[in-house]
Amino acid sequence: MTEDTPKTPQKFDFKDIETLQRYLNSQGKLYSAKRTGLSARQQRQLKRAVKYARTLALLPYAN
Amino acid sequence: MNDNQYIYQAMFLLDNGEVREQGFNAVREWVKSTLEKHGATVKVLRFWGERPLAYPIQGRARATYVLGWIQGTEKTVSATKHEMYLLGPVFRNLFLKEEEIPAEELAFGIEEVKDEDITVLDDTPVAEALFEEDEESDDSSEEKSSDESGDAEEGDAETKKDGEGESEEKPAEAATASTEKEEA
Repeated sequence: MTEDTPKTPQKFDFKDIETLQRYLNSQGKLYSAKRTGLSARQQRQLKRAVKYARTLALLPYAN
Repeated sequence: MNDNQYIYQAMFLLDNGEVREQGFNAVREWVKSTLEKHGATVKVLRFWGERPLAYPIQGRARATYVLGWIQGTEKTVSATKHEMYLLGPVFRNLFLKEEEIPAEELAFGIEEVKDEDITVLDDTPVAEALFEEDEESDDSSEEKSSDESGDAEEGDAETKKDGEGESEEKPAEAATASTEKEEA
């Protein structure tokens, strides 16, 4: 992994929109675990964080 | 619902119009008093940002975000949510159970912010523009859908006609088949 590549965070925070957006496509949909390369637990945490962010209108439901 | 005390991270979306009229500190004080009225202990309540919404909510395109860390029961949270739904400048909220309050958040405490330091942009024209766009797009989509439905009807009519034709042909075929059998 090069220095430019952002690291996977220990815990996904719904307020960290920039990090969450890395795992969303242009439509605002979450990438699959196969593509994100996250573990099942991390993928669930990411999913929850994205849903909280959508509730607070920090991220769109659909672009 | 038990009476155990939990730590919650809470985020509130404030109406920019109310923040502009009353000032941020007054609105934040309303949030704090509402939480305390229902038995919560407010550890942190701070300005998190004033930003555009990812999608319009009740005609608003921007909102002021307030982040809080509180201690309270599940009843406290449900009662607070209920009151905020009915009254006041908070139009959306989120409460999440957490294990502990991070040290960097505790340092904020009940942060005092000067009202002059917070610039709240007027979101009404943006919201109206958004609605106008929506209406226009709705009209155009309706036109399209009506066209499509018209085509579909025509198509259906054609298929029906074809179907009728087939049904007409079938008895004739059956008749010829029966005559062939009789001849045999």
